[in-house]
Amino acid sequence: MTPREKFIKCLKREPITGHVPHFELVFYLTMEAFRRVHPEHRVFHQWDQMSKREQDYHIQDIAETYIAYAEKYNHSAIFVQMDTGNMKYFDRTVRILEEIRNQTGDKYYTMVHGDPTFAIPTGDDMIEFTALLYEEEDKMKALAQKKVDHFKAFAEKMTRYEGLLDGFTLCSDYCFNANPFFSPDLFGEFIAPYLKDILDAYRSMGYYTIKHTDGNIMPILDQMVECGPDALHSLDPQGGVSLKKVKELVGDKVALCGNVNCGLLQTGTEEECVADIRRSLREGMPGYGYIFCTSNCAYTGLSLERYELMHRIWREEGIYPEAGKQ
Amino acid sequence: MAIIEEISEFLQKGRAKNVKALVTQALEEGEDPKAILNEGLLSGMMIIGEKFKKDEVFVPDVLIAARAMNTGLAVLEPRLVEIGNEPVGKAVIGTVKGDLHDIGKNLVMMMLKGVGFEIHDLGVDVEPETFVDKAEEVGADIIGMSALLSTTMPNMGEVVEELKNRGLREKYIVMIGGAPVTEKFAREIGVDYYTPDAATCAEIAKKAVEERK
Repeated sequence: MTPREKFIKCLKREPITGHVPHFELVFYLTMEAFRRVHPEHRVFHQWDQMSKREQDYHIQDIAETYIAYAEKYNHSAIFVQMDTGNMKYFDRTVRILEEIRNQTGDKYYTMVHGDPTFAIPTGDDMIEFTALLYEEEDKMKALAQKKVDHFKAFAEKMTRYEGLLDGFTLCSDYCFNANPFFSPDLFGEFIAPYLKDILDAYRSMGYYTIKHTDGNIMPILDQMVECGPDALHSLDPQGGVSLKKVKELVGDKVALCGNVNCGLLQTGTEEECVADIRRSLREGMPGYGYIFCTSNCAYTGLSLERYELMHRIWREEGIYPEAGKQ
Repeated sequence: MAIIEEISEFLQKGRAKNVKALVTQALEEGEDPKAILNEGLLSGMMIIGEKFKKDEVFVPDVLIAARAMNTGLAVLEPRLVEIGNEPVGKAVIGTVKGDLHDIGKNLVMMMLKGVGFEIHDLGVDVEPETFVDKAEEVGADIIGMSALLSTTMPNMGEVVEELKNRGLREKYIVMIGGAPVTEKFAREIGVDYYTPDAATCAEIAKKAVEERK
C-alpha cells in the first residue's frame, strides 16, 4: 500500500496496518534540514518575465523540495501551498502538481488550499468586518457565496487534470485559544452553510477534504462536523482541545489530524515533548481515522531537533499491529 | 429608564448610532460627562467584558460594543477634556519584535479603553527599546506585550531586560498575553501579570493600577 493509499484509508477511517500516516501542512525548515529554500520563502517578482524553461526549472525545484521533506520525514501527503484564491496561480499549481506526480507517481496524497469561508479578520479590519456581519447581512452572505463560487470554479477546472490532485485543505482559522471568534449562532449563519456548500462540491468532484483551524473548536465542533469534511486538522491543545474527547464525540464521523503541541515543541522540555508526542499517538491511533502531525505546522523558527524527535518517536512507536493482532 | 442606563444598554447591544444620539442628548440635558462615561459607556463595556469572560458572548459582541463605545466617546471627549477628567491609567501596548499579529493586541486595547485607560498603541513588530521609550514619554503605568508565536515570545523577556538595564523595572506594571504565552513563562521572564484573555487583562490592569496609586 502506498503512503497515499494509506492516507486515504485514514480519511475514510478504515483499518490500516503499519505506521499511522504522518504529514505536515507546512514544513518550513527545509534550509536547515537539507539546504533548500522553502517554496513559501521564495518571491517570484519576475515570474511572467521568465522563459518557459526558466520557469520549468523553478517548478522542478519547488516540487523537489516538497518531495524532499516528504521523503526525509516519511510524510504520506504533500500540501502544495499556492494561493488558490487567485486564479492567476492555477497554471503554476498544476505544473507543480504535475512535476510531483512525474517524479513520484501516485506515492503521495496531494492537496492544495481551498477555503472560501470567512476566517478571523485581522486586527485592523475586525471591527468593520463584525459590523458588516450585523448590519449588512445580505451583503456579507453574497460575498460568502461569491467566494464559494470562485473555489468551485477552481476545483472544477482542476478536475480536467485527472489524478493530479487528491484533495483540498481548508485553512480559514475560526478560533482563538479561549473560544471561537464567531459565536455558534454567527457560525451557523455566516460560515456553516458555505462550508457545507463547498465541501459538498469538492466531494461531488471526487476530492477529499481536510478542514483546519487553530484554537478552541469545541463550541462549534458539531457544526463543523455536520458540514462533512473528511478530516479535521490541528486539534489545537493550546486551545484546550483534547484529542481523546474529540475522538469520543465525533470520531465515528470524521478523521482527525494533529494535536502534537507545536508550541510545546518549541518551549517545553524534551521530557514534556516526548510525553506529548506519545500522548497524541496513544489517544489518536485506537480505532483508526487518525493522521499524526503537529497542531499547526513545522513553522519557521521551530527547532529542527524537536521535529526530528517527534519523527523518531513516530517511527518507533506509531505503528499499528499486523492484521488480526490488534 | 434613565438616559445613562439606556446608553449602557444600547452599548451592550452594539448600537453605535443610538449610543451617539443618547450621549449627545444626555450632554444637552446637562448630565455630568463623568457619569455618562463611567455609568454609561464604561459600565456597558464592563458588563460585556464580564459576559465575555463567562463565555456568554463572543468576540464580535465585544467588537461592536467597543465600536459603540468609541462612537459615544467621540462625542463625549471634548467635554471630558474641558473638565479635566483623568484616565484610570495609561498603557503602552504592542506586539513584540518579529511578530506581526495584531488581533489579540487590538482586543486588549479595546477592553482597556473600556475600563477607562488611555492607550498608546505601538503596533506590531515593536523593538524592546520602543516599549520603554514610549512608556517613559507618556508616563505610562502599564507596558503590555502580545505575541502569537512561540518563536517571538522570548522577545518579551528582552523588554524586561531593557527595563532592568535602565533601572526602570519597578516603575512599570508589565503584562503579557498571547496564544503560546503561559503563567509559567511569565514567571520565568519576570513580568507582573499574564492574563489569558482581553477581558481578564482589563480587569487585572485596572486593579493593579489602582493598588499602586
